[in-house]
Amino acid sequence: MSNRFLLASTSAGWPPPVLDPGGPYAEPVTLLAWALLIGGAVVLAIVVAALGTALFGSKRLKAKLGGERAIWLGGFLFPAVVLTGLLIWGLSLTSSLSPQPGTDAMRVRIIGEMWWWRVHYLDARGQEALRDANELHIPVGRPVLLELESADVIHSFWIPRLAGKMDMIPGRTNKLLIEADRPGVYKGQCAEYCGGPHALMGFVVVAHSAKDFERWRAARRPADGGGGPGLDLFLASGCAACHTIRGTAANGLAGPDLTHVGSRQTLGAGILPNNPGTMAGWIADSQAIKPGNRMPAYHQFSGRELRALAAYLRGLE
Amino acid sequence: MAREEVMIAAVGTLLLGACHPAEIAPHDAGAAAIARGRDAARRLGCGACHAMPDSAWPKGRVGPALDGFGDRAMIAGQLPNDPVRLAAFVRDAPALVPGTAMPAIPMRDEDARDIAAWLQSLHEQ
Amino acid sequence: MSSETGFDPALYARFPTRAPRPDEEKEELAHIWCAPKGWDYLTAVNNSYIGLYYLGTAFLFFLLAGILALLMRVQLAAPLMEVLPQAVYNQVFTMHGTVMMFLFAVPAVEAAGVLLLPQMLAARDLPFPRLSAYAFWAYAVGGLCFFASIFVGLAPDGGWFMYPPLTSKAYSPGINTDFWLLGIGFIEISAIAGAIEIIVGVLRTRAPGMSLDRMPIFAWAMLVFAAMIVIAFPSVILATLLLEIERAFGWPFFDAGRGGDPLLWQHLFWFFGHPEVYIIFLPAAGMVSMIVATVARTELVGYRLIVLALLATGFISFGVWAHHMFATGLPPMTTGFFSAASMAVSIPAGIQVFAWIATLAVGKPRYSAPGLFVIGSILIFVTGGLTGVMVAMVPFDWQAHDSYFIVAHLHYVLIGGMVFPLFAAFYYWIPSISRRPLSDRLGRWVFGLMFAGMNIAFLPMHLSGLQGMPRRVSTYLPGQGLALPNLVSTVGAFLLAAGVLLFLVDLVRNFRFAPGGGTAGNVHDAGTLEWLPTELYSVRSIPVVASREPLWDDPALAARVEAGRYFLPRSATGLRETIVTSPLRAEPQYLQILPGPSPWPIAAAIFTAGFFLALTVQAYGFGLASGLFAVIAVLRWLWESDRRVAAERVDIGAGIEVPTYVTGSASHGWWAMVILLIVMGMIFVMGLFSLAFLWSNQPSYWAPPPAFRGAVPILLLDLAAAALAIGGRRLLLRGAAWPVVAFVLSTAALGGALWLDRGQWAAAGFAAEASGQGAAVFALLALQGAAVATGALMAGYCAARALRGLVTRPANTSIDLTMLFLAYAAIQGLVGALFTRAVGA
Repeated sequence: MSNRFLLASTSAGWPPPVLDPGGPYAEPVTLLAWALLIGGAVVLAIVVAALGTALFGSKRLKAKLGGERAIWLGGFLFPAVVLTGLLIWGLSLTSSLSPQPGTDAMRVRIIGEMWWWRVHYLDARGQEALRDANELHIPVGRPVLLELESADVIHSFWIPRLAGKMDMIPGRTNKLLIEADRPGVYKGQCAEYCGGPHALMGFVVVAHSAKDFERWRAARRPADGGGGPGLDLFLASGCAACHTIRGTAANGLAGPDLTHVGSRQTLGAGILPNNPGTMAGWIADSQAIKPGNRMPAYHQFSGRELRALAAYLRGLE
Repeated sequence: MAREEVMIAAVGTLLLGACHPAEIAPHDAGAAAIARGRDAARRLGCGACHAMPDSAWPKGRVGPALDGFGDRAMIAGQLPNDPVRLAAFVRDAPALVPGTAMPAIPMRDEDARDIAAWLQSLHEQ
Repeated sequence: MSSETGFDPALYARFPTRAPRPDEEKEELAHIWCAPKGWDYLTAVNNSYIGLYYLGTAFLFFLLAGILALLMRVQLAAPLMEVLPQAVYNQVFTMHGTVMMFLFAVPAVEAAGVLLLPQMLAARDLPFPRLSAYAFWAYAVGGLCFFASIFVGLAPDGGWFMYPPLTSKAYSPGINTDFWLLGIGFIEISAIAGAIEIIVGVLRTRAPGMSLDRMPIFAWAMLVFAAMIVIAFPSVILATLLLEIERAFGWPFFDAGRGGDPLLWQHLFWFFGHPEVYIIFLPAAGMVSMIVATVARTELVGYRLIVLALLATGFISFGVWAHHMFATGLPPMTTGFFSAASMAVSIPAGIQVFAWIATLAVGKPRYSAPGLFVIGSILIFVTGGLTGVMVAMVPFDWQAHDSYFIVAHLHYVLIGGMVFPLFAAFYYWIPSISRRPLSDRLGRWVFGLMFAGMNIAFLPMHLSGLQGMPRRVSTYLPGQGLALPNLVSTVGAFLLAAGVLLFLVDLVRNFRFAPGGGTAGNVHDAGTLEWLPTELYSVRSIPVVASREPLWDDPALAARVEAGRYFLPRSATGLRETIVTSPLRAEPQYLQILPGPSPWPIAAAIFTAGFFLALTVQAYGFGLASGLFAVIAVLRWLWESDRRVAAERVDIGAGIEVPTYVTGSASHGWWAMVILLIVMGMIFVMGLFSLAFLWSNQPSYWAPPPAFRGAVPILLLDLAAAALAIGGRRLLLRGAAWPVVAFVLSTAALGGALWLDRGQWAAAGFAAEASGQGAAVFALLALQGAAVATGALMAGYCAARALRGLVTRPANTSIDLTMLFLAYAAIQGLVGALFTRAVGA
């Protein structure tokens, strides 16, 4: 079975994603995090020991603690030395993780929108080569440069196993490098509060081996004209006002591009598995699933029509 | 592979709605099967259309709520509510009730049986 | 011994005086400072009452915001719960943060200052009692109206830092956001008023002999706190003003599509927002320093180091704001600087922590409730500080930022750094205002529940954050390892709440407010002046201070103070009064006549609230009338404050005579006006920064400003205005009409300059709605307009006083202060005209 249902079935627990890096832009941060967590615990233990000594210690130890010398040592010298070391580490890591000009990374523009994500794959010249939504496919072992933008309010792009987060701010393009070491599904969600169903704005990165990635890429073609009753319903019911299905007359831009919707892992931006049942449920009443999202409930379909529409969309790969 | 499975199921839904599905043998509706069924229902996103007990989200409003399902005499108002038919229905509803809005949903036999077991364990308080 | 003011320190040797004081003096004092009855409680201005009202209201907001927190914890106890629908949840978390930060934390520490400082400094009251009363009522009325918005579903829902464009009209069309801006408006007013009160109070009303290095640490902390408010709050005042203008009139300050920039808000907000954390923490740290010394029964080790640490914290905290913005794509150079500063700011905190530990090591600590809360606070705060160092590391912050790790971090810092010290302070200082102390036995239980609950609630949140849980989510999906830590957090939150509930029980059982002599007294055997026997008039006589812990060093002090054997054992003028001393060595300078109870501060506060509320619900007519009444009420209360009494010099004890009316730079009014002008200057500077920021970030929207040539007449008019203001004050010698005429002309010149300036921008084709540049320029012009209008009001006020013969000669405070304001307004207009033309020229 493919990883179609991996989203829901990936059981999480230990280690948490931040401490379970999936690529070179997360790995050094995990090391740093461990160093900080353990170092922090050690310092806390020292302070507790000092406090314990001050309260319960012997006279001799108390006398050592009870003076300005102890304040200078514990409150100034020790933190100054440790912090200087940390600062140097942090600065060098910051620059090594920041995108440098002239990388041969694959480029993808991701635009945050209330409450989903546009995904535009760019070719070597920076031209748009493929449009998708809410899901990013990448080859393993190759850096991917994300150009992060926003169409409305501030969002933040965060795939904890692949990199730290980066805000998507109207009027700006922020850059973030990610890379996956191994094939798999990496989950994330919007990290900057963006109102309404911010809690339900998820995202999925699917990493493939280089060969599988090429195969996946090659399989993404515009729809062929033969959509049958499902396409007719789609066009007749107003869906095309907001959604594009390349290869058909549907060219709306307000909502996610549906040309490849059937191949996505999830529906509703990372929150539901993608199967005929959830597709039908989303079309008929997405407001019950993701309150406040911009797609209205469609109550006018008969049972057969709803199934036909869902089946048509599921067939768009 | 799943993709083909889905295509077949989807096409089947459209073209072969009237055909009888393969019989799914009932199995032991023990506590383990019920728990597996509940998890499978969540994993498959049944909540997108049906409000499910013990799950506050999503509370779909497209189809009927599922609480007290074990007390109901009929499935979709048309079929006797027995484990075999229920398992068949959850996997391929249109095959049994042609006008239904509920699509055929690709899933394993065990999932269908477990979900049926779980549904029949749901009783009004 | 040298002197600061010409006062001869040898005169201190006259105290304690020998002759017994007559009892009538005490009766007269009690009569002058009598307790309110019935409705008088609303018009009281004495710090004992206002301080308690203030603290009580702040604590009420703590409870309300705490209940909101419990609601959130119930919603998050398990995945996909539906206790609070998403829309309600978004309002609840916004209100929790806003109320805790703005309506609880800042007012609570400010209230502690109002309540404790006069007693600690042995002053009769703070120098501007009516201002305190106004600040309190504005905060209470406004804050409660603001909180009520949640009951009708109109509460703000943009998060406590309200980032645009989510909070702009396009994405938040309702009036919810306006309610936030309203609520913040009140706290801005009361914080600035309180800061002025505290700075002047600490620097000018200390007991004679209490030089800066004998000042209790709490007073130092409040001084730094107040100075930080003066520097930091203007930034958020400007930010809220700009956001409201953008929402109401469409001026695009934060709209990237029209040459604004959403990041401008973040810079303005966090330039306030991060110092805000230290604004909350420093007074609490000051409390801990006081309590530690008493609990350990020894003087504080490292007093001077702690003072330096307080000052350093205040200074460095203005260089760390962008660490809230590491994920906004700032260049590595910038993040590096802010990362370094963020780490550096932990060093003064470390110095304080080790000073407390050293003090405990030197002394013999008692494990009373205040002692336990102090020890608990150290542990929690250090943990929060360590995670703070972690998130100061840019790469780690990229992961932790906006996740539950931050939620854990900030609660450790704020609960350890402020809430626990506040509870320690409750158990410590309540005996000084209540007939009975709180129960130490219950206090230990309160501590145990709160300490355990706090850690159980917030420790697991570090893990939730590392699991990838963003903050501000109304729910989370199952299967991410989030269910267990969240359930544990919820249990801990309720444990914490149980501790607070038990504290309330303790309060009900034992707290009996007695601002006068019926207090429980010095139960902790502490050494500072607030433990002297006090009445509503504070101490009977104001002692000469010779050390940091006078009560320890001179056991007979309390009895002699009570016997009236020091300064001001009686009312010298038959009015409320306090001694104003010099800022460094606290040498007596003059006797300040304090205003008494008045209905005008509360009236002004209610009309101020009416003004803002009416604007929020767009009842403009009512709003305008209300605003007008507010101004009238303020002027009415001021009318009695520039007061000259018959006796020009009076004996304040032992034959030492001081004047009763002082003008010029030595007067408390002058000091307050200078601080206010610093606030206004900071608002204006932040406005100039906004213009420059938009220019450097949105160059494609920039148009060439009008030519410098046009600014020449503007400069000349502004210079003339300044000259008229300064010269007018000098002409008071010749008669009260001279300065009034000069001030009116000065205002006219200011108005003319503004008119010319505005006209040139309009003629050059700029419009406020058209671009970020236009919006910023016209906002600066609007600020100048507000200054000119205020100057005109002050000139009119001087004219009215001159007509009533209240402008005394040869010098007069009202004239002094109007001169200062007009001169400032002239400089502001001049700088604005030049700067706006320089940016992008």
